[in-house]
Amino acid sequence: MAKQNINKNVLSGSPRITKVSFFGRVASVFQQHFQQVFSSFTELWKTPFATVMTILVLGVALSLPSVFQVLYKNTERVSSQWDKASEISLFLNKNISEQRIQVLINKLGLYSDIETVTHISSHQALEEFKEMSGFSKALNYLDENPLPDVLIVVPVEQAMNTAGSKLLVAKLKREQGVDLVRVDIDWIEKLQAMVSVAVDIVIAIALLLLLSVLLIVSNTIRLNILNQRAEIEVFKLVGATNSFIQRPFLYAGAWYGLLGGVIAWLLTFVLVQWLQSGVVSLMGLYEVQFQISAMNLEEVFILITAATFLGFIASYISVKQYLVKIEPK
Amino acid sequence: MILFEEVSKIYAGDFVALKEVDFHLKQGEMAFLTGHSGSGKSTLLRLISLMERPTTGRIVLNGNDISNIKGNDIPYMRRHIGMIFQDHRLLMNRTVLENVGLPLLIEGYNQYEIKRRSLVALDKVGLLGKEDYEPIHLSGGEQQRVGIARAIINQPPLLLADEPTGNLDPKLSLEILSLFESLNEFGMSVLIATHDLGLIAKMRYRTLTLKEGLMINDGLMRERNG
Repeated sequence: MAKQNINKNVLSGSPRITKVSFFGRVASVFQQHFQQVFSSFTELWKTPFATVMTILVLGVALSLPSVFQVLYKNTERVSSQWDKASEISLFLNKNISEQRIQVLINKLGLYSDIETVTHISSHQALEEFKEMSGFSKALNYLDENPLPDVLIVVPVEQAMNTAGSKLLVAKLKREQGVDLVRVDIDWIEKLQAMVSVAVDIVIAIALLLLLSVLLIVSNTIRLNILNQRAEIEVFKLVGATNSFIQRPFLYAGAWYGLLGGVIAWLLTFVLVQWLQSGVVSLMGLYEVQFQISAMNLEEVFILITAATFLGFIASYISVKQYLVKIEPK
Repeated sequence: MILFEEVSKIYAGDFVALKEVDFHLKQGEMAFLTGHSGSGKSTLLRLISLMERPTTGRIVLNGNDISNIKGNDIPYMRRHIGMIFQDHRLLMNRTVLENVGLPLLIEGYNQYEIKRRSLVALDKVGLLGKEDYEPIHLSGGEQQRVGIARAIINQPPLLLADEPTGNLDPKLSLEILSLFESLNEFGMSVLIATHDLGLIAKMRYRTLTLKEGLMINDGLMRERNG
């Protein structure tokens, strides 16, 4: 044993109040924090089953908002691609003359919010329809071409948004010889309205889930405090301050949050991978190549940091509610 | 060291635990506190160790009036008091060394110094070599010694012991009291609450006797032979 190294004078002489130098105290505070961060982590695994269950519950609860976030982000990505009136179709009057059509094309070419105007004659349209529909023989029996001449108007980039295209459509409707203006923006607006409602619902669910995380961690820490009541009393009896005693519990809460956040990230990753093949098949039906973009590094960092902070706050609530009230008996 | 001036403690329901108690324990003095169960011994110790506050009167500890001490100051004041309990109040999931070093850990000593001083304290109570045991594997007497080592490790000027020999056989009780005597010889003030009159009679120390919250005697109970 290190018996020969023991300085027996430590306890000899008159009693004194122990003093630690200022720098020694500052250094030891950091040392204590460092030790308590890791000892609180070790402490979690003294009850591995309960800890794993708690972390999994937190992970599942946190993964739902993060999956919603990924889905929302991807929906935004898709709808932002569609949120463009890339083409406006002007169906012209049946009896409009070629000369009048040319005048109209020239006039539209002067519009500052129109990039190009392409004329598809009624004859051309019918030929295309015959080719695409496969009813060419049947269409040959028609007495006259039922299709009108069409002008395909492509707005400039700035006028492709919802407001710009609406303004342009209003102007085009006023043009002489234009029978019908068709722009496929209405369904996008409806989709956006639905997405907006879905986002509100998701935010409400996410808030409830985050609240549940707060309650789960808070309750777990409360149970830890109550289980260690006798130990806390001893600490207080030998002169420990509340901040010294509460630190391991605060760190434990933060650990729960951090580990729950990591589990949430992994679950989100797995779910996104699982959804990927289905989405690719679905988008393939529309001849669109689309990959769900998973969480990026920044989002992962935000998720884990927020979860850690949430765990810390939940623990703080419990500590303030229960620990400070424990007094030695 | 400890000054009680007309200290009363009245609990809810008008139960008078202490009634206008006056006494003064000087620095380096050792005394017994005795009385039947419910006489107010534990209340008196609880007042000194800041687990309770007096209803009326003034308590001065080490020159500080602790009657209306702020809650935030209590931990720092407790570091000047070594407390020993009948039920030892040890942390059973920690080693003897960790138990003994607890007050130093709280005060911010480094691990090396904590270990060094803990071993010295354990040596003082005759438990060197058992530092890595958990208290659950020690006998009652040994657990009490661990409690004593923890109480003296930061050399407090005052040692309070509440029935320290309550669960021990007479031989072990005398050994523990001898330990208190040796600590007192170093200048530590020692106040021991016990209802073991036989034990008190064997020692030649001042004895404070409480009865129904009143201090009915303050002096030597009986001179020790020799």
